[in-house]
Amino acid sequence: MLQKVKDIARSMLAEKQADGVLGLIRGQWDIIQPHVFDNLRQVDSLVLEPKWLLAKMAMTVLRSSPEGFRLAVIVRGCDERALTELTKRNQIEKDRILTIGIACSDEQASVCLCRRPYPEKLDAGEAVAGMDPFQDETTRELLVGDGPARMEKWAHLLRRCIKCYGCRNSCPICVCIPCKLEDEVWVETGVIPAEMISYHLIRAFHLSDTCVACGACQDACPVHIPLVALQLSMREALRQVYGYEAGLDPEKRSPILYDLFKEPAAGQVLPDWVNTLGKRDES
Amino acid sequence: MNPEFIKTICPYCGTGCGLILKVEKEKVAGIYPDREHPVSQGTLCIKGWFAHEFVHHPDRLRTPLVRKGDRFEAISWDEAILLAAEKLEATAETYGEDAIGGLCSAKCTNEENYLFQKLIRMAFGTNNVDHCARLCHAPTAAGMAQTTGSGAMTNSISDLAGAECILIIGSNAAESHPIIMGEIYKAVDKGATVIVIDPRKTAVAQNASMHLPINPGTDIPLLVGMMRHILDAGLHNAAFIQERMEGFEGLRNFLQSWPVERAAEECGIDEGRIRNVAEIYAKAKDAAIVYCMGITQHACGTANVHAVCDLAMLCGKIGREFSGVYPLRGQNNVQGSCDMGGLPNVYPGYQSVADPSIQEKFQMAWGRELSARPGLTVTEMIASAGKDIRALYIMAENPALSDPDVNHVLESLAKLDFLIVQDIFLTETAKFAHLVLPATCFAEKTGTYTNTERRFQLLRQAVEPPGEAKGDFEIICLLANALGLDFPYSHPGEVMDEIASLVPAYGGVRFDRLERAGLQWPCPDAHHPGTRFLHEHKFTRGKGLFVVPQYTPPFEKPDGEYPHYLNTGRMFAHYHTGTMTRRSPFLNRELEGAYAEIHPEDAQRAGIREGDRIRLTSRRGSIVTAARISQRVLRGSIFAPFHFAEARANILTNPVLDPVSKIPEFKVCAVKMEKEPHEDEE
Repeated sequence: MLQKVKDIARSMLAEKQADGVLGLIRGQWDIIQPHVFDNLRQVDSLVLEPKWLLAKMAMTVLRSSPEGFRLAVIVRGCDERALTELTKRNQIEKDRILTIGIACSDEQASVCLCRRPYPEKLDAGEAVAGMDPFQDETTRELLVGDGPARMEKWAHLLRRCIKCYGCRNSCPICVCIPCKLEDEVWVETGVIPAEMISYHLIRAFHLSDTCVACGACQDACPVHIPLVALQLSMREALRQVYGYEAGLDPEKRSPILYDLFKEPAAGQVLPDWVNTLGKRDES
Repeated sequence: MNPEFIKTICPYCGTGCGLILKVEKEKVAGIYPDREHPVSQGTLCIKGWFAHEFVHHPDRLRTPLVRKGDRFEAISWDEAILLAAEKLEATAETYGEDAIGGLCSAKCTNEENYLFQKLIRMAFGTNNVDHCARLCHAPTAAGMAQTTGSGAMTNSISDLAGAECILIIGSNAAESHPIIMGEIYKAVDKGATVIVIDPRKTAVAQNASMHLPINPGTDIPLLVGMMRHILDAGLHNAAFIQERMEGFEGLRNFLQSWPVERAAEECGIDEGRIRNVAEIYAKAKDAAIVYCMGITQHACGTANVHAVCDLAMLCGKIGREFSGVYPLRGQNNVQGSCDMGGLPNVYPGYQSVADPSIQEKFQMAWGRELSARPGLTVTEMIASAGKDIRALYIMAENPALSDPDVNHVLESLAKLDFLIVQDIFLTETAKFAHLVLPATCFAEKTGTYTNTERRFQLLRQAVEPPGEAKGDFEIICLLANALGLDFPYSHPGEVMDEIASLVPAYGGVRFDRLERAGLQWPCPDAHHPGTRFLHEHKFTRGKGLFVVPQYTPPFEKPDGEYPHYLNTGRMFAHYHTGTMTRRSPFLNRELEGAYAEIHPEDAQRAGIREGDRIRLTSRRGSIVTAARISQRVLRGSIFAPFHFAEARANILTNPVLDPVSKIPEFKVCAVKMEKEPHEDEE
């Protein structure tokens, strides 16, 4: 897989399809870090591991690069979906970005509880089957079953928040300026933890139809809050009710913005996971 | 043209997290966490995420400045170095060499600190070199050196995740060492019990299994109460004590005078809870004790550290993975600045200046006669400024905010014949200087920092200094050469090689070995992999030593005139004297000004509401700050962060010193509180 990615990267640079390739480099002394490759020889040092999400970095690289600069990005499934969402939201110019899609391993897929551990445009590696995160026991404890008990669990976990803003900073889709989380009306300044509703739920809901479940937020959380699980129910609702998954189809708009008339008909029973934290309506 | 990504180390706390600086057009344009970093593993706290924001601030010093009356004038480097050398030499000639003092810096690299102390010791034959470690973990260095032989954190940060019980004493890690707090939560997620001992209901305490809100300054009664119960219940580790310890009889006799009932009465915690907590700690397979300024910043700070060590050694919970004693170091390189001999009684590697064979070794290496007499501490140097100390050279320290009884500090600084301040901004201290030397920040230098787990880590230069500013490394070399010494160094790596040749414990540390993940000392030779935890088969001093922790209550207690306890410390968005964080727009947005936390009942009694201006007064001075009404403080107690120049909490604090380590009692003093009229009502 690695050799193939290197070949593609080299040909993209050689044929001037891309002015740079964003990926990981293993430098002297085995130091691994993100890097914009812009010459063929450097590509020898390209590596694919560890999982290191590059979509947001790609956006900032494009923003500060000269007009017409075209960037290729080595993407996993989630990174590709994030770039698609950013393109849909006019944060990235479509014709300035290329991807080299790689498949994740089985092992990585199960660490991430990923439904689609491969990009739509797969260039290297074999796609492995995804998994249903709702089958994971730890996730189920957070998302399914007794509401008050789960509420207690979530409140307990979110109380750890040290307000580093890492979840927001690392999220490829969190690009609003100004950010609501910097608005004193919503988020009290100068104290920790950040409030459950006004910080964490504003953030979660803002991402309800854009979250690609890449896990960047959770990876960046110093206090191990299961932030991906916070998004899963909303992602699942969109998938089941509207057949919509963020980042899959560049042409398909979010149903929250455009398909309101397709609301479930009155009287239609919502699946129980929609009512994630409140009291269960037993009727 | 493409952005470059440069790996380096965070300049704030002693955790030493990995940063990746994004450099564009010769500026640091952003920060990403380093997923490969052994400690932070892709996470950062709010300060780390925004550590680039002060780097290119317009307030950065760009040229040397000399005082002309009450203002500063720019001068050339040649003039500045010549002036510094002439004034220091003249002072030494007139008043003797001990009239010179130097404060090195826990913010600077190991190599810079090594060169700084070498300059002071070589050029002036004095040991008057110290720094702000005096104000944070001097009791740890002194206390743990006595009990174990090494004044450093025994284990690695990652060991915390494997502990079954974690006792956190006087540390608000969630705000002050957030990434270490994350390691503690890993243990919690595996079922560990976290017990917090703190007079404040801190963020750590709120999330703990148990919180024991002791009376301020009563750590020793609580800890000896626990030890007494452990002994009475036979829960101590007799085999460990027999095989590896000495001094047990002395401790046992001492504990006879501390029945649990007496401990309970003194510290204000129910007897049953003390017994319960003691049993949880003693029975846990692996148990860690994490502590910070709540233990050290007392007039009995060293004894507090003895008590912590005694407890760990009594239960044999030291010298093993996942157990141990974890003093969390505050500054990014406070471990290193101590390791490098930035202390008045030791050369690099804690080698005593009073030991003739050590003196001989350094005289041979440096080629100058050196003094065998320990020098003055920072608190002593400031106190004798204008008397015994006539000229001070301060590198990146800000005593005008950080030292106790600040009004007195300011008077002292003003009395100096000559003050050199080398820094990146015109700090409150630099405003008193006769000569200001513009230096570089973390993003502009190469060198090493040593984090709280003894890990040497490489700092990589990402951008050029602003204006004519020079690296501290280069400035020290220029000054040394002007003073007639030979400092021929062109790269910090050469200095590290010299350090390795003089300190056995760092013998195997070389720059190229630090590139990937750093090295934890001791690392005696080129093939040694570094040391994850200390004291495995024997203590650094041979046998572990039980030292009787003599209890001294806080010097000041609330009385009729000053009815409240005052506690000082840090809050999550700012760092120490705010020189960097208060110039960071994002951090300043989080908190712009000073405040003090007051218990709701105290506020109500005084007619104070949220946000009201209040005046806090101690026997030493008074400040005006904003009231924040909070359940986090106990009734009768007030908490004030010390970051703010406009309301310096250290105007209030008590300069009474711990007799051993000379640390002031920052954590406890008595104050009164009054409501101030609104500014527009005055």
